[in-house]
Amino acid sequence: MSNQKANSNGRLLRLYDHFKREWQIYILLLPMIIWFAVFLYKPMYGLQIAFKDYSIFRGIAASPWIGFEHFQTLFGSDQFMRALRNTFMISMLSLCFGFPMPIILALMFNEITNQIFKRTAQTVVYLPHFISTVIIAGIVITAFSPTAGIVNTFLGWLGIEPIYFLIKPEWFRPIFIGSGIWQEAGFSSIVFLAAIAGVNPSLYESAVVDGASRWQMMWKITLPSILPTIIIMLIIRIGNLLEVGFELIIVLYQPSTYETADVINTYIYRQGVQGAQYDLAAAAGLFNAVIAFVLVMTANTISKRYSRTSLW
Amino acid sequence: MSGVDLTNIVKKYGSFQVVHGIDLMVAEKEFVVLVGPSGCGKSTTLRMIAGLEEITDGDLTIDGRRMNRIAPKDRDVAMVFQNYALYPHLNVADNMAFGLRIRKMPKAEIKTTIDDVAAILGLTDYLDRRPADLSGGQRQRVAMGRAIVRHPKVFLFDEPLSNLDAKLRTQMRAEIKRLHKRLGVTSIYVTHDQVEAMTLADRIVVMNDGRIEQIGTPMELFNNPVNTFVAGFLGSPPMNQVKGTLTHTGVKVGNTEIKIDGASATQVGRQVVVGLRPEHVTLSVKENTSAIPIVLDLVEPLGSEALLHGRFEGNEVVFKAETNGDIGHLSGVTEIHVASSLVKLFDGETGQALNLGS
Repeated sequence: MSNQKANSNGRLLRLYDHFKREWQIYILLLPMIIWFAVFLYKPMYGLQIAFKDYSIFRGIAASPWIGFEHFQTLFGSDQFMRALRNTFMISMLSLCFGFPMPIILALMFNEITNQIFKRTAQTVVYLPHFISTVIIAGIVITAFSPTAGIVNTFLGWLGIEPIYFLIKPEWFRPIFIGSGIWQEAGFSSIVFLAAIAGVNPSLYESAVVDGASRWQMMWKITLPSILPTIIIMLIIRIGNLLEVGFELIIVLYQPSTYETADVINTYIYRQGVQGAQYDLAAAAGLFNAVIAFVLVMTANTISKRYSRTSLW
Repeated sequence: MSGVDLTNIVKKYGSFQVVHGIDLMVAEKEFVVLVGPSGCGKSTTLRMIAGLEEITDGDLTIDGRRMNRIAPKDRDVAMVFQNYALYPHLNVADNMAFGLRIRKMPKAEIKTTIDDVAAILGLTDYLDRRPADLSGGQRQRVAMGRAIVRHPKVFLFDEPLSNLDAKLRTQMRAEIKRLHKRLGVTSIYVTHDQVEAMTLADRIVVMNDGRIEQIGTPMELFNNPVNTFVAGFLGSPPMNQVKGTLTHTGVKVGNTEIKIDGASATQVGRQVVVGLRPEHVTLSVKENTSAIPIVLDLVEPLGSEALLHGRFEGNEVVFKAETNGDIGHLSGVTEIHVASSLVKLFDGETGQALNLGS
C-alpha cells in the first residue's frame, strides 16, 4: 500500500518536473487543445439529444429520453437511406479516383527536370485550392452551362446537342468528384512530394548503375518508398470518408439531382437547420461519426497488420 | 583486360573546377584506393567512372573502350555506396536480385547466383530479412553482394565502411581484401581513412584539392612521400614535421642538430621541413643516430606500444615507443634518437621532398 503511494507520488513528481522543464512546448500546444475542447469536445454534450425528444424551449437537460426512436425513424426514412447510399457512393468514387490523383501528380512533378516548368506547373495546380467553394461552384456552373459553358460549346463543335449537366442526376457525381479533384489534387500532392524528397538519392544512383529506367525507378523505388506516407494518408482519408464536401453539394445540387446528390450532411442540414428537427439531425450526425470511427479503426488495424505502417 | 584508364579527367560545376585533369591507369585485377581529405575530388572521380557524374573533359576508358558518353548500366561496373543504398522495402534476396531482374536474367539463374554469393558473404540465413532487421555489417555485406552478383568488370567502392564502428570496420576491411583475392575483379575504392588505404590497396592514389599528389604502393608512399601533404596524410600518427635549416653535417632545428645522409656544403642555410616518422625513433643511442630533446607532457599507452606526446624545440611532436609491458620507464624520457637515414627532408617553401644524396 505504502509502496503504491510512493510510486504514484514519484510519478506525480516526475510529471511536475517534466512540465517545469518543457512548459514552452505545452504553451505551443495550448491553442490546439482549446480549439479541440471548445469546438469538438464541448459540443459532444449536445449529442445526447439524439436519444431525446428535444425541444429548444425545454433545453437539453429537461428534454425527455426516448431511446433509439430517432434512429428507427432515420432507418425507416427513404430520404435518409438515399442520403446514406449517396454518401457511400460519392465517398467511394472520390476515394477511387481522387486519392490516387495527388500521388500521380507528385510522381509526375518528380520526373520534370526543367525547374521553371516544374514550378509553373506546380503553381497552376496548387491555385484552385485557394479559391473559395462558392467561387468553385460558380466556375463549375459557368463551365457546364448549356448556353455559354465551355463544355457545351466544345460539344457543339463536335455536333452534340447541349447537355443540361447540372440538372441531370447521372452527371452530378462525375462533375462533383471531377471538380473536387481539380480543386484539391494539386495541393494534396505536396505531402507526397515531400515524401519523395525524403527518398535516399543513392537508391536511385544504385538503380542507375544497375540499369533501371526512369519508369522502373518510379515503380520499384519511388512508389514503395512513399508507401508508408500513402497508407497514412489513406487511413486519414478513410476516417473522413463520410465527410463529403457538403458545401459544394449544397451550392451545386437542386431537387432534380437529389437522387444522386443528397448526402448525410446535406440531409442533416435540411432536417436540422432548415426543418428545425435538431434531435433527428443529431442522430444522423452521431451515426455518421460512429461509422467514420469504425472505418478509421479498421483501416489502421489492417494497415498495421499487413504493412507495418499505422497512424497509432 | 578490364583495366580502367583516366586521361586528363576534368570535372567542373559551372565555372567551379573540382577535378583538375587527373591521369590514372588501373590495371586489371588491381585494387586501387583513392584517398584524401574531404572535398579533394576522390568521390567525384569515382562517380565519373560510374557514370553518375558527367566528365567535363578528358577520357575514361574501361577495358579499352571509351566510356565518357556511355550510360552507367552499359559500363559493366558495380558500385557499393557509403550508406549501403539498400531498398528498404525489399528483403536481402530481392535487394541482391534487383539488378539481375532489371537485366531480365532467368529466375532460376538469379536464384543460383544469389545463393552462391550469399554463401560467400555468410548471408544465407538472412535472405528473407529486410535491411531494417540487419546489423550495419550485414547491411554492408548485402550491399557488396548486390555488386558481386552482377559479375561486373570493375567494382567501385565509395567509402563503404565509414558508417561502421571501429571493430566492424577492421573485420569488414579484411573481408573485402579476402573477397578481392578470391574474385580478382578490378576495384577502385574511395576512402578518407588512411588505415583502410594502407591495408587494402595494391596501389594508393593520394588526392588533394582535385589533383593527384602521389601514386604508389602503400610502403612506397609511407617511406618516400613526395611532399609534406602525403607525409602528413599517411601514417598513424602522421609524420612529425618541423622547420629547420641545413648545415654542413645535417639539419638544425632550434638549438638541436640532427644528422642526415648526404649533407653537403652547397646546401647550407637552405630552409627545410624535417620529417620524423613517429615509428622511426628509438629510446637508446645507436649507430648514426642523433639525439632529439623532448619535453614530454603525455604518455598514451596502446598496449605493446605507447605514444609519447611532447614538444621538441617548441614544436608539438608525437613519437612511438615500445612499452615492453610497462609504461613506467617512459614518463622519464627526455630525449629520443633518430637514425640519419630515416630523417626525411622537404623543401621549406614548396613542401616537395628533397633527396640530398642524388
